Amino acid sequence: MPKAVAILGAAALPVGKWQTPSDSPTQLLEHEVLASLVVDATRDGGVERTDIGSLAFSLPRPYTQQKYFGTFMANYLRLPCGACVSETMGNGMTAGLAFEAACNEIRLGRTKVALALGINFETATSAAEHMMRSMRTTGDVDFHVPFGFTPISWYAMDAARYIHEFKSSREELASVAVKNRRHASLNPLAQFRKPITLEEVLSQAPIVEPLGLYEVPPRSDGAVCLVLADEDVARASGRPYVRIRGRGFYHEGAHQINEIPNDMIALLAARTAGRSAYEEAGVTPEDIDLAEVYAPCTIIEVLVSEALGFAPRGKGAAMAKAGETTLGGRIPICTSGGLQSRGHPAYVTPFYSFVEVMDQLRNRAGQRQVQNARLAVTSAELGNYNAALVHVFEAVQ
Amino acid sequence: MNLPVISIGRKRSFPPRVTAHTERFWRSLENGQFETSQCNDCGKKTFPPKPFCPHCWSKDLTWAPLGRFGRLYSQTVIHAAPAVFRSEAPYRVCIVDLDEGLRLATLLMADQPPVLDARLEIVALRYLDGPLFAARPLPHSSHLVSELLPPS
Repeated sequence: MPKAVAILGAAALPVGKWQTPSDSPTQLLEHEVLASLVVDATRDGGVERTDIGSLAFSLPRPYTQQKYFGTFMANYLRLPCGACVSETMGNGMTAGLAFEAACNEIRLGRTKVALALGINFETATSAAEHMMRSMRTTGDVDFHVPFGFTPISWYAMDAARYIHEFKSSREELASVAVKNRRHASLNPLAQFRKPITLEEVLSQAPIVEPLGLYEVPPRSDGAVCLVLADEDVARASGRPYVRIRGRGFYHEGAHQINEIPNDMIALLAARTAGRSAYEEAGVTPEDIDLAEVYAPCTIIEVLVSEALGFAPRGKGAAMAKAGETTLGGRIPICTSGGLQSRGHPAYVTPFYSFVEVMDQLRNRAGQRQVQNARLAVTSAELGNYNAALVHVFEAVQ
Repeated sequence: MNLPVISIGRKRSFPPRVTAHTERFWRSLENGQFETSQCNDCGKKTFPPKPFCPHCWSKDLTWAPLGRFGRLYSQTVIHAAPAVFRSEAPYRVCIVDLDEGLRLATLLMADQPPVLDARLEIVALRYLDGPLFAARPLPHSSHLVSELLPPS
């Protein structure tokens, strides 16, 4: 029987612009920032440094000068590890996969405590240079990129198809951005906290039609350290903790588009991974108190809310517009502010989702606290949600 | 020649890499031929062309012509473009479902956004340094009788 895994503690850098330009006389460097979070997170989790047997890092951006960052950090922290030290990469799912790597060391009984951690610094690199890399992360470099596709252009085509098929509207989709900004206004870790109106969202410059500036993710820096432990350790700590109750993963064997025409906006991977996670957790979507989903654009939050069973097919946007996914609504989604407003330091973004869920389930989310939150769901993805990683978490007091 | 050919008086912004296998595809495209790999074992076509069959993993493949007609599954206009495409922005791109049951993504040559599910055709683009392809709405006048039939 694999060991049950708990999140015991965490520390996170507020999402924002932190990276210093390369010509700045004084630099803010990734290892110093992350080491400080490691110290804070272990204190939050009440564990000793000698308890830690595994470090699972998300890969930093290529702009981080210190390469082989994970093994360098083991040195910088002077932390011998008997289970594993690893550095994981998987685009937007990167931090989700690092989280899994840490969990698996505990599940296999190789260590009782593991850290899942990482840093994503990128904002000192210009958008033009960054996009020359990011355009090659989606689709086919030889059969898509020559036409100028960008990562979010695929989501924009999801939006066009959704509006067409379900007679939705840009206004309905844009309401998600307004809701997320409101949530972010209550989150000290969020990058953009000034509330915005629907009119302001609709009047922004178009980025990838029909989506404008506030409906797509910003570029962001961020860093997180999570303390994971065998549930026995968590229980013995006498502190409230969060237990992983279910997990699901599915890759549909496609990247961006399926060469055999399919229903692109059904998000088959999220549906399948969600079903596995609910099944393992022994719960249904109706049992869930909040969801912190990986949704770079407004449309994706809508599609994921449908794929994970929080809204009937084609009704997710109308449901968001009606306030059902806002704090105080039927099923609050992205109480952190989501990727548009909490920010999107891509390789660590799923870590921030776990932090939000931990804060909510430990009843320390302050003004954005979901009352009596007991069960929460997270998701992470690859491509155009061609792969999904879904977790169900439970509060243990 | 099964594709209309349009000459473009400049080089491609981000040329595709050519392999020993895909060289045939690009050379044919330059000459207005749209074709792809087809499996001799299971009979299925695949796009982009591949040196193996992704459906049954056979390595016994042949080249087969690909029909140029399809419908518009989705589209967008990209305003925020990577450096190499900046001079072209804003530009329209799309996902096309070919009548032969294959989905691809490409440029959409249209001044106005066609309604989704509209009929499209693939055209060859002959740049100064090599070919690409694109989709464009079918003008009413050029509808062939076969085009008015539902996709098989």
